[in-house]
Amino acid sequence: MRCRAPARHTPARELHVSVPNLIDPRTMRFHRHPRLLAPFLLVPLMAGCFASGGGDDSGSGGKDGDGDGARLRVALAFPPAEKLSPYGADATLLSRLGVTEGLTSLDANGSAAPALAESWRRDGDKTWEFSLRDATFQDGGEVTPAAVAESLAHATDAEPAPAALAGVDLRAEASGDRVVRITTAEPDPVLPLRLSSPSLAILSKGAYGKGSRVDPVGHATGPFELTEVNGATSASLDRFDDYWGGRAQASGIDARFIADGTARANALRTGELDIAEAVPVAQAASLDKKTRRDTATTRTTSLLLNASSGTFEDAGLRAAARGALDTSVFAEDVYEGYADPAAGVYGPAVTWAEGKRTAPVGRAAAKKAGGATVHLATYDNRPELPEVAQVVKQQLEKAGFTVKLTVREYSRLEGDALDGKFDAFVLARNTLLDTGDPVAVLASDYTCGGGFNIAQLCDKDVDRAVADAEKIADTAKRQDAAMAAEARILGSDAVVPLVHQRIITGVADSVQGVILDPYERTLVGTGTRR
Amino acid sequence: MWQRVAGAGWRTFLAVGLVCGVGLLPWLTSTDPAYTVLKARSAEREPTPEVLADIRRQLGIDGGPLHVLTGWLGGLVRGDAGQSWISGGDVLPDVLRALGASLLLMAVALLVAVLTAGLICARTLRLGARRRLGGRRGGGSASAVLASLPEFLVASVLATVVGVQLGWLPALGWYGPQWTVLPALALGLPAGAVLGRLLDDLLPGAFGEPWALAAAARGLTGRSIARQALRRCVPALLPNLGLFVVGLTGGAVAVEQVFDIPGLGRTTLQAALAQDLPVLQAGTLALVLLAALATGATRVAARLLTGPALRDGALSSLHRPAPPAGGLLPLLYGLVLLAVVGLGLARDPLALDTGQRLRAPSLDHPFGTDALGRDLLARVGHGALDTLLLAAAISAAALLAGVLLGLVPRISAPLVDTVNAVPPVLVALLVTAVAGSGAATPALAVGAVAWAPLAAHTSSLLRQERATLHITATKGLGAGRVHLLRYELLPAVVPPVLRHALLRLPGVALALASLGFLGLGAQPPSPEWGLLLAENQPYAERAPWAVLAPAAVLALLGALAVSAAGGLRRRPAKPSPGTTEAAAGPERRSVAGTEQEPAGVR
Repeated sequence: MRCRAPARHTPARELHVSVPNLIDPRTMRFHRHPRLLAPFLLVPLMAGCFASGGGDDSGSGGKDGDGDGARLRVALAFPPAEKLSPYGADATLLSRLGVTEGLTSLDANGSAAPALAESWRRDGDKTWEFSLRDATFQDGGEVTPAAVAESLAHATDAEPAPAALAGVDLRAEASGDRVVRITTAEPDPVLPLRLSSPSLAILSKGAYGKGSRVDPVGHATGPFELTEVNGATSASLDRFDDYWGGRAQASGIDARFIADGTARANALRTGELDIAEAVPVAQAASLDKKTRRDTATTRTTSLLLNASSGTFEDAGLRAAARGALDTSVFAEDVYEGYADPAAGVYGPAVTWAEGKRTAPVGRAAAKKAGGATVHLATYDNRPELPEVAQVVKQQLEKAGFTVKLTVREYSRLEGDALDGKFDAFVLARNTLLDTGDPVAVLASDYTCGGGFNIAQLCDKDVDRAVADAEKIADTAKRQDAAMAAEARILGSDAVVPLVHQRIITGVADSVQGVILDPYERTLVGTGTRR
Repeated sequence: MWQRVAGAGWRTFLAVGLVCGVGLLPWLTSTDPAYTVLKARSAEREPTPEVLADIRRQLGIDGGPLHVLTGWLGGLVRGDAGQSWISGGDVLPDVLRALGASLLLMAVALLVAVLTAGLICARTLRLGARRRLGGRRGGGSASAVLASLPEFLVASVLATVVGVQLGWLPALGWYGPQWTVLPALALGLPAGAVLGRLLDDLLPGAFGEPWALAAAARGLTGRSIARQALRRCVPALLPNLGLFVVGLTGGAVAVEQVFDIPGLGRTTLQAALAQDLPVLQAGTLALVLLAALATGATRVAARLLTGPALRDGALSSLHRPAPPAGGLLPLLYGLVLLAVVGLGLARDPLALDTGQRLRAPSLDHPFGTDALGRDLLARVGHGALDTLLLAAAISAAALLAGVLLGLVPRISAPLVDTVNAVPPVLVALLVTAVAGSGAATPALAVGAVAWAPLAAHTSSLLRQERATLHITATKGLGAGRVHLLRYELLPAVVPPVLRHALLRLPGVALALASLGFLGLGAQPPSPEWGLLLAENQPYAERAPWAVLAPAAVLALLGALAVSAAGGLRRRPAKPSPGTTEAAAGPERRSVAGTEQEPAGVR
């Protein structure tokens, strides 16, 4: 057994002190049986087997009076999967902790907002120019156009490419001392949105070593700087004093990665944490009303009906299934109010959607179910989904379908779902994906060539509507076109939206300024303090 | 000597076979590792062919299974266990760190288990030392209930009540000694209850042996008689203790999850699901080595405790005196269980009413309702048949396999260690690889592990039984091997092992449910008991009845099994008179007495 040397704040020191007392000759029992002592001599050794970091529940640092805020103790739900490489899912984690930033960010309306780039303009079909603001990297260097171009070049070379760059051929070059020119092989009207993706964060030269490893520790630009990462257990961050947006109020962050939702809620209740991400619906009631904050998210839970094989190949039966579902019970009962009743593919977190929504186009007339069999599937990684599926099952059965339900772990299910092995599938899907572009989800989920087409929908009208929307650069018109495509998709009845999820963040009473982001890309910012 | 070499060879063969089996897992199950690795890295990423090809190239698995396996083994020789396929980090430091945390947790849990076992046996020891065991009925309902409690339930209750509401101990994390207490209790209490039950089962026999009477007559203190009785009985349990050591190190997934402990159980679970082969192989190898060490240690300990007597065949048979009639207890438990099931069967277990969710017990819903407003009494009642039949069938098969394999310890002992060391998910995946995901697969997957402790128990009892004087005597009278086995060894060994199997019956039911996430076993909305527990666990604090109802019937089942098994003991040919007297006692076994009925059913 090899254990780590005790880290700074582990209780190893106390143990070292207490051991000699046990061997005190006055303690007769131990004196008589020296053999019994042997295990105790292992105690200091064992101390190295504890996890390091985060053990100080008094809140290390303390409140040093004005100006120098206390450290924040934050629990995140997903541990780093790839050693905090920015090209995978860990990118979100970095941006949520305020470590990394991209050239742009998403504002509340889902359009691109300035971040490291102050402004941008389109130069011709395929080229965009981004003017950088005055910013410094956490390792002291300036954020220059050359550094930005190099960082983006590393992202485009990554294998596999970051999701935001899938199918995009992009080249960045410095132009003058403040401008980065980005050229794409195909016209890309949503490039500024795309660049807001956390996986396109800008890192300094030092982050890219030999080989493909990318190390964001100390090489990013955000208000907080990673100082130590303890595997998939915890991470420490210090405030980055030269942040362009001003010094953060909290002096640092002690982040812990706690996969179990109940455990996160428990830790918040015992005062071990200031902020707990993603509290499960089932645990929300155990938190104080003031502690739980819910935000609408872009995640929509829908029932997808397999439109190209099996029972639901028949549009009339799809319409019958849609008619059979009473979606009001999901938001209210299964999600206990932490969800909004379904309105369409996009929920209330996509703020512009409701005003532009049009009625579904081309719906078929419902037929009689007549005992048709339906193989319904869902996954248990999100605990509410099996419950949703069981309610769906009952409602479909009431309408005359015969339903068989399969529940598995997501990675054991997705392949079969993509192959069209199920008739119906309950899926929670983020509708703004990695790019923040509303059309992307429609293209991947509901078109013939889409890579995530669980509904197996292949409909000429839908494809045309989506293709039309993809060509439009103007934000407002693109949104209109997206809603027109949504109306077509809903008209096909291949998808029946059930609820729009709200995410519950547990925030201790004393904490202020937590950013409750519908896109789940930020959590802690310069104004967050306790 | 050659036997020992052969044993070591067999053990090595099994370990190598296992590691190779793990290395071939993706190809056996025809599940693309590039795909599972991608999903482990980022669940929402679309698995396009280009992305998968990139990952395959990155992992170097284009060359096929043999290339990957030989590459990994080659690295291992140089002390390099490779890089994790998910994170790209070195495997060895991560696995060792997880192993360190798990070993520590296991050590503290073992301490708790030993204390628990001690408490359970305290009464028997006290009475035995004073030679007043005669009239004692085989009880043990409390310990059977404890043994049938699922670890995750104990863990969540401890975390919520002691950790959060009372605030006595930290409810989360792994930063120092005070953090070990609650997880160790959650793991140690059920394990200790099983060990305590088994020990309590053997102790009266030891107290009934002639030496104990002689020692008492000689005026030895009750305390030293009790100590010697312990020394006499503990060796039979040591192999099972060894199994617990390994099982708790690698299989404490639920407890690690609830308390957020960075242990080996979660590491291997994640690696198994993602088919992160280097991590999975290193973790499995570490557990197999630990198993070999634990076995070696228990063997040495057994020799230290009863060595000379074992060698010289100077033990006497360890059979407790015949207990008085089983009493009303099992009848009572049985009636309650029947009543619950009967009442439940009259209701609808699938009728949803989300407006009635999480209602407390009332006249309409005597056991309350679950998160979808279904009547829990109905679900418990309807689940009984499935759960009990399947669990009982698996337990019976495991008992048969355990006893048969236990008879040939040289072959089975390394097999027991290896099987026990493999994390349950991995067993399930390997079984699925071989048997496909048919209806029988979950039963096979659970059965593949369930026989191991029974076989270990059988062979350790057998070892002691072979060293008894009456076997020597029977041999001396010319009895053949078959006769010995049929009339002497099996009748002595089977009853305690049967009681052991019954004690583990609730555990089998739970293990079945825990495979659900692989798509094996019962699927919602089936009211199978294990599934009931799992689906209501998130609501344990808000609606305790939702977990208490299935946990209570499971515990009742455990108590019923153990108290009824109390009647499954050997009956002496002629009941000795005055069994209630202190001196009454040991079942005197003579050669003539061998013609008793074997493990009878009362």
